Amino acid sequence: MQSEVICVRCPKGCKVKVAFEGGSVTSVEGYGCLLGREYAVQEVVNPQRIVSTTVRVLKAPYQRLPVRTSRPVPKDKVREVVKALAGVTVEAPVKRGEVIVKNVAGTSVDVIAERDLESEGG
Amino acid sequence: MVVIGGGPSGLAASVKLEEKGYDVTILESERELGGILMQCIHDGFGTKLFNEAFSGPEFACKFIDRVRDLDVEYFTNTFVKSVKVGSSLKEVVALNRQGVLKLSCRAIVFATGCRERTPFEIKVGGTRPAGVYTAGMVQRLVNVYGVLPGKKVLIVGGGDVGMIVARHLLLEGVEEVTIVFPEAWFAGLARNVQQCVLDFGIPFKPRTVVKEIVGKERVDGAVLVNVDEQWKPIEGTEVFHPCDTIIFSVGLIPNSSQLEEMGAEIDPRTRGPVVNEYFETSLKGVFAVGNLVTVFDYVDDAVETAFLAAEGVEKYLQGEERREKPTPLSPGKYLRLMVPHRVEWADGRDVVAFFRSSVEKENCWIVAKDGSGGEIFRTLKRYVRPTLLERLEIHRDLVDKAGRVVVDAE
Repeated sequence: MQSEVICVRCPKGCKVKVAFEGGSVTSVEGYGCLLGREYAVQEVVNPQRIVSTTVRVLKAPYQRLPVRTSRPVPKDKVREVVKALAGVTVEAPVKRGEVIVKNVAGTSVDVIAERDLESEGG
Repeated sequence: MVVIGGGPSGLAASVKLEEKGYDVTILESERELGGILMQCIHDGFGTKLFNEAFSGPEFACKFIDRVRDLDVEYFTNTFVKSVKVGSSLKEVVALNRQGVLKLSCRAIVFATGCRERTPFEIKVGGTRPAGVYTAGMVQRLVNVYGVLPGKKVLIVGGGDVGMIVARHLLLEGVEEVTIVFPEAWFAGLARNVQQCVLDFGIPFKPRTVVKEIVGKERVDGAVLVNVDEQWKPIEGTEVFHPCDTIIFSVGLIPNSSQLEEMGAEIDPRTRGPVVNEYFETSLKGVFAVGNLVTVFDYVDDAVETAFLAAEGVEKYLQGEERREKPTPLSPGKYLRLMVPHRVEWADGRDVVAFFRSSVEKENCWIVAKDGSGGEIFRTLKRYVRPTLLERLEIHRDLVDKAGRVVVDAE
């Protein structure tokens, strides 16, 4: 199998072709530097992403609280993470960095608040 | 000291000035500090300044916390009505729910950011039904108020904001997202192409623009048309694209109208004010920072201009010596724009400049020449392209020797 990865290590945006068989990389082509090669292989073998979204928040000046995963999660878990957070409601006040959901979607990664939100009214 | 605008650049300038012992007042028109970053909930901010990728609110909060620690005075929900610049004292009149605020100050830092270009500023025909938005507006609706704009969305523009909004809408439950743009490839950062578009298999059409918006009460769709390399529509390539929402992400323009009204010189290339090496406008003691000066790709760079301006305020207030004649700094044939526009102070740090190339080139020499075409400095950039704002440092003593400095790509 072969994957094409756009390298993000510098603005050049090389298109790197990574071929792999049964979990091991057999060839890497089109990279401009060694950093790019390393990135492309990581992207193919185990791509990871920070997931940012919002959850419902009550008693706050706004309706949504921005949250993110505290660490990157496997790329194929991104949608599951967002789905797991769809029904979550919190109440202000909230502190930045506070854990909103532990071990989200079985990733063993926590979801944390991106900002403080003070409570307002009822 | 008055700082107008409580976004990242305004906050950074305020913090630096307060640390230097000045008495700062921030005027912010929104209900809270933080500016546009508060709705940019994705990560990737601060990689240059902190060597770590924060979300927008996290990055902003670093400075908001500092503002609170230093007890900097700030007013939110406050609009600046007028600014008068006298020879030494300046007067700012602002309005809020409590009434009229009259502030006398010795220096002003404008940090009013930029605004989104609207569909009315590019040629789009057809009707004007409900369901037409700008990307920033949608970002705010979704991330702050939890409102999705529609179900089938067309995004116009292949820049960073368009891509980020596309990913977000898809994750938050919009059924269908398509991106169109007139360039041959996305104009934004490669990381966004990968992580926002390709990761989610979002369909996109290069060399395509909206010819007409269709719909009476609500958007029914758009007539798309292919364009050539000069972005000229190719007749006969029109197709109807059904959708209920059209989001325009077609560029950002500095909010410089207030400075212009005050008589500050404006650069037609950046559409922001003309500034010296410490980001002082053509009005003495009036500084401009961040996206108001030119639209930055990285908030880290915008914040750097704020730090430089804080040093400039200090120089201004201490009455440090200026050159008899400022040395003009200008972009050559292959640069689309460059800031700052002149070197004005007799002494100081090396000159930090930002430029955008008008060509795409690998291993590109950036060359600075004096008025008579003699080379004074060159540096190699691994890759330049029109969509990337590059940073450049030029030794001050090299500028000293030249009557003027022209920087160009070679």
